[in-house]
Amino acid sequence: MTAAIRVDQVSKTFQLGRGRSVEALGGVSLEVRPGEFVAIIGPSGCGKSMILRLIGSLEEPTRGSVTIDGRPPRALASTHRLGVAFQDHALLPWLSVWQNVTLPLQVAGLHPDEARIAALIKLVGLEGFEKARPRQLSGGMRQRAAIARALALNPEVLLLDEPFAALDAVTRRYMNIELQRIWTESRITTLLVTHGVDEALFLADRIVVMSGRPGRIIKTLAIDFPRPRSPELMRTAPFHELYDQLAELLEPVPADSDLAAGGGES
Amino acid sequence: MSDGGANKRAPGKTALGIVGLALFLCAWQVIGHFRLAGLTWPPFTEVIALLADPDRWPMLGRALYATVAAMAAGYLLGTALGLGAAVGAHLFPIARPGTDRLAAVVNSIPSIALGPVFIVFLSRESTAVAIAAAHAAFIIYVSAGSGLAAASRGHRDLLTVLGASRLMRLRHLDLPASLPALATGLKLAVPAALIGTIIGEWFGAPRGLGVLIVNAMQNFQIPLLWSVVVLIAATSLALYSALTLLERACYARFT
Repeated sequence: MTAAIRVDQVSKTFQLGRGRSVEALGGVSLEVRPGEFVAIIGPSGCGKSMILRLIGSLEEPTRGSVTIDGRPPRALASTHRLGVAFQDHALLPWLSVWQNVTLPLQVAGLHPDEARIAALIKLVGLEGFEKARPRQLSGGMRQRAAIARALALNPEVLLLDEPFAALDAVTRRYMNIELQRIWTESRITTLLVTHGVDEALFLADRIVVMSGRPGRIIKTLAIDFPRPRSPELMRTAPFHELYDQLAELLEPVPADSDLAAGGGES
Repeated sequence: MSDGGANKRAPGKTALGIVGLALFLCAWQVIGHFRLAGLTWPPFTEVIALLADPDRWPMLGRALYATVAAMAAGYLLGTALGLGAAVGAHLFPIARPGTDRLAAVVNSIPSIALGPVFIVFLSRESTAVAIAAAHAAFIIYVSAGSGLAAASRGHRDLLTVLGASRLMRLRHLDLPASLPALATGLKLAVPAALIGTIIGEWFGAPRGLGVLIVNAMQNFQIPLLWSVVVLIAATSLALYSALTLLERACYARFT
């Protein structure tokens, strides 16, 4: 079972005091179909994480509405049907891998199904590390534990906020391949926020490109590569073509001279 | 000053500490031996000799037992009160400004002034327990309160997204995250509770180290007076050290 997300004309404004304010999002509309994987890319501070925070019931929109299957995000969160992984893995340091993955079920008052937890830990390749504490794991292993935890509730919506941003390029690529495999098995409605164009291209059914201050959607692009996708896809010509197209969109707009060079993608 | 690195500095510090302690005891001995500070300053060896005298042990032992028992009761009671108030204020933030102010006001009343009130209210025996509890409760309330607010934003966001109820959030995040700060509070509350017990005993408890202090002072038993003070300091230090170990364990486990 998976849900549809609807973001309708959403603006988010922050008051800075003394009558000044900053507009983080300026009228963003976005629909995610059930079982669709949508990636949001854009420069730093374009409000892309804000969209996830709004859907995750962590923030309220200033104007407009966010609904999941026609209901406010809080309804989905409070009925324990939401999975998240942040840039910061947010594993509880006093719990083992096993306990961290079980946490969402305990919070929901559900009895943890041991076989399922074991399967999730196996899915993210952490077999044998069930009793390890987060500080004993590498960065990549911590993120994988966080992904397993995000899937523990069998969520209807999965929110991924740059979950691999803190990892080195090699680990990150490996994690993308793993996530692609895991997602293809579950087909949960997923929203991924990322800086990485290649990451977005490899994982998503659709890519939404945003511009900064206030955050707006400037382009939506359907990605039709067949699934399951193998790492070889990243070496094909159509992949590179789309990459260049998107990278160009992310380049900073020259302000008043052509000297503003350099890619917007980091 | 040369910086020898963390592993070399620790033994150096210990050595310096031992030298400092030796100098302190020497000064004590010299001042006492030559009566430089008058008759009320006995030499260190005289104080130790009294403590080492087996004939004195039953009396000192009874007093020590009474004081530690009263202190333990007050400490546990104060911890329960302080922790209960902190958790209550955490779960019902509307009560927080009120409980904060109440705690600050109660703490600002000198326990010497509270003593007679407790004597009137309660029995002579329980006054020591009550003052010890009051001292411990404030420290526990403050440390548990800051501990319960110690969870990171990322962890709090996670529990929100997981749809955690207030009690689930308390159980799975706020309480475990509060343990290091709480352990520091538990450590600091030990000397405070001991002071509270001694003050309480001055108001006429049947036995205890505080009673011995008052009696020794009034009967001009100067070496006995000092022995009791040394015994109190040693007790406080031993308990404080034990709780320092607990605090370290908590920091290692919960941060």
